[in-house]
Amino acid sequence: MQSARNEILERLRAAPKTKIPVRPFMPPLKEVSLDKEELVNQFTEMLTAETGIVYRVKNNDQALEKLTEIAKQEGLKGVMVSTDDVATSLDLPAWGSKTGVKVMSAKDFNGRDEFRDAVFDRVEAGITGIDFAVAESGTLGLIHDKDQARLVSLAPILHIAIVPVERVFPVYETVIESVFNQEKLPSQFVFITGPSMTGDIEGHLFKGMHGPRKVIVILIG
Amino acid sequence: MKISTEKFTELAKKEVEKARARPFLKMVPHSLYQKRKAGLATLPDAAAAQAYGAAIRSEAINRLPELLEEFEKKATANGAKVFWARTAKEAREYIVNLASERGAKFVIKGKSMVTEEIGLNEALSDHGIEPWEADLGEFIIQQMHRPPFHIVGPAINVPVEEIRDLFMAKGIMKEPTLDPVALGWAARRFLREKFHRAEFGVTGVNMAVAETGTIINLENEGNIRFAKSSPRTQVSVMTLEKVVPTMKDAMHLIRLLSRNCSGQNISAYVSMDSGPKQDGEIDGPEELIIVIVDNGRSGIYQDPKARDALRCIRCAACLNICPVYRQIGGYAYGWVYSGPMGQVLMPLLLGLDKTQDIYRACSLCGACKSVCPAGIDHPALFLYYRSLDVSTDHSFKGKRRPWREALFFKAWSMAVQRFWIWDTGISVTRPFINKNSENGVIHNMKGAFGGWFRKRDLPPMAEKTFHEKWEEIKKTR
Amino acid sequence: MKEVSLFIPCTVDLFLPLIGEATVSLLRRAGVTPVYRRGQTCCGQPAMNSGYRKEAKKAAKHFIELFGDDEVIVSPSGSCVCMVKHHYPELLADEPEWSRRAAEVARRVYELSQYLVDVLNVTDMGAAYQGKVAYHESCHVLRGLGVSTQPKKLISAVKGTELVSMNQDDFCCGFGGEFASHYPDISESMVQDKVQNYIDSGADLLILCEPGCLLNIGGYLSRHHPEKRAMHLANFLAQNGREMPR
Repeated sequence: MQSARNEILERLRAAPKTKIPVRPFMPPLKEVSLDKEELVNQFTEMLTAETGIVYRVKNNDQALEKLTEIAKQEGLKGVMVSTDDVATSLDLPAWGSKTGVKVMSAKDFNGRDEFRDAVFDRVEAGITGIDFAVAESGTLGLIHDKDQARLVSLAPILHIAIVPVERVFPVYETVIESVFNQEKLPSQFVFITGPSMTGDIEGHLFKGMHGPRKVIVILIG
Repeated sequence: MKISTEKFTELAKKEVEKARARPFLKMVPHSLYQKRKAGLATLPDAAAAQAYGAAIRSEAINRLPELLEEFEKKATANGAKVFWARTAKEAREYIVNLASERGAKFVIKGKSMVTEEIGLNEALSDHGIEPWEADLGEFIIQQMHRPPFHIVGPAINVPVEEIRDLFMAKGIMKEPTLDPVALGWAARRFLREKFHRAEFGVTGVNMAVAETGTIINLENEGNIRFAKSSPRTQVSVMTLEKVVPTMKDAMHLIRLLSRNCSGQNISAYVSMDSGPKQDGEIDGPEELIIVIVDNGRSGIYQDPKARDALRCIRCAACLNICPVYRQIGGYAYGWVYSGPMGQVLMPLLLGLDKTQDIYRACSLCGACKSVCPAGIDHPALFLYYRSLDVSTDHSFKGKRRPWREALFFKAWSMAVQRFWIWDTGISVTRPFINKNSENGVIHNMKGAFGGWFRKRDLPPMAEKTFHEKWEEIKKTR
Repeated sequence: MKEVSLFIPCTVDLFLPLIGEATVSLLRRAGVTPVYRRGQTCCGQPAMNSGYRKEAKKAAKHFIELFGDDEVIVSPSGSCVCMVKHHYPELLADEPEWSRRAAEVARRVYELSQYLVDVLNVTDMGAAYQGKVAYHESCHVLRGLGVSTQPKKLISAVKGTELVSMNQDDFCCGFGGEFASHYPDISESMVQDKVQNYIDSGADLLILCEPGCLLNIGGYLSRHHPEKRAMHLANFLAQNGREMPR
């Protein structure tokens, strides 16, 4: 007996062939012709429209100062941080010791269940670097790997993202070209645009459903 | 989910009469339609973008076998497992067995219409595995045991009073409130426990990219990301037609889907999976299983016209603009899919005989076709199904039409090609029709067009038709 | 003078002949001579819409036989024009000679306002009407043929007339041929909305280019709002003096 796969594929292959249409011309998005400053402004504007809060600082020191301010404002006692290159460059554990915020990362835990308990219940924020930021919609692009756990930017109610301005790009395609042209593809790549939201109750739109309720971006550079 | 497509007229009548649904139906689809317009206006050339989307979907469908093979090859190379299911039964049995084997007591679910189509939730429950719909709208209708009212916002018509009562009754909240935000947050708190403990996540698939073997999901709430992060096993269910040639094509469709659906530039979250988690990753699934469901689609594919119905990307732009949908809402369509997209798809999946009204309850206004980013010509498909039904096509399960109708058109066809018959026919029927006339208006008439006269009048047939008057008219200046 | 062949829809022929008369009058005013081919019956839409393609084909062939040599064919109905333009070629695709003739005829058929404005370059028909009018964008006229500016230009040229905006003016009125009688609950709901939008627009008169829509909207007005009127564009411009018979 033929496998389901072969049966289905054979049936599809036996069907009449039809013409593949020519792709029509499409003018490029305006973002592709913006310079870096304009891209940063566009990114900020778009994310702010989705209630994202965007701070611009010059360097890592200022970023940490801003983070201290945020920790105070939000009453952060515990945070889960990624160990990606951007986050690592800030030395968040050191910052945590200085400010009294308990800084944890996936490496502190013995396996997924312990990590899950912590990231769900014992932190008020997740702090991550990002791999890309996209100006066209105020979007963050994160490659998930051993230094970028998925739940860090998902489970806590606040997501703080550190974005070096060199990583702001115009449109999705630029990012996709970079991420998906590799030998080994990331297990997961996500685009995050503002906090979680829904309109499922009577069409009433609000922010903060299952994912974070608030997104704060610290732009460095 | 029970199929009630044969109850369309009865259900439609009830829905039109329901005062409750109508204020909602007046507002929300229209507001989504306005948002769509505004969203598309952010593109440099919206018409070109829509046409490009249609070209992508047309290519995807026309290269279906080749793209599916490529997708499978790449996905498998990424470490995903691909399972092909010919029928709904094969698909749900596979998933239920897998969940059983993994010892899952419950499953968290992302919104997926194909899982409704295959009856997955009932099958899981029957095996003592509890399915938890985690998308807020799906969660609400699951708790209420209601069918979906709209393909994107399934509970969008449910008044806050009813949601409050539901949540209080089910212990989802302790303090009553009518505030949608507070209701949403109560659901968040309740479902968060499930996300935390979940070991088996089931999602749908918005796009399956052949070029890279990547599955893509769009969402606003985050429940799909949870289903892909917390559990050790992730099952993502797709139908054949979800496949898309390249990642760049997928990006364009993301722009179109988000705008056409709700005017967003992009959904809050777009997650793209190329295989299970890798070594060293502390979360994400240890196994990623992609279930490819046929359930009649390879059959539909045999017909080059009908296969265009498979282009649909589930944006619901057609629902929001359809004047019929706006009068009756989603329940009347009787199954998972509603509005024009349901009307083109369900007859193919269920048979023309079981969906007689589904492809006839349309005034052919063409609004759906004018908004579709996938380039589906819904009115042309309805006309096509109607003709297949009349000719009792077996592969589409056409039905025999009422003999009176067939006879009428036989007679009509004789009259249209022979003027003397047409002319005589008029002379003969005119007095019968016009005897119903009172003061130059017909208020009522028994017979085939009786439905008209409930709320409408008709002018009497002209004492002198245009062709009878022509000699006179010719002479005037 | 140039001759133009009249294509009078069966709805007009049987129920609304004054629309036909107005069409004749307008074409003459615009400087062409309308001729009427006796023997025309119906474009075939009812059969096509109900799925009876074999029967619709007969109507198509009859039409092509009758109108096949005419250089220009004009009709006061968008849906009939769509039937000829879009569906005849499809219906006859499997018969090469008929298919060729269908394509020829499809090129030569016009909706009335489209012909007046786009081909004859006429917008002022010499009419006058003091008051506010609203315009209903019939589905086949707007989406089937892309005709919208033409009727509005003609209306705006009428002395004393103010064309006011109407909410959801491009929404289906609920006629759809057999749809109206087979799905009366839905159809009535649609025409009710259309009429409410008309009333809310503040217009004294509703103008449209489609006899089917006129029967539908007019029929509902007659029963529920006899003081409000709806009229075909041709009658409005030709000013026959009578609107939709009551």
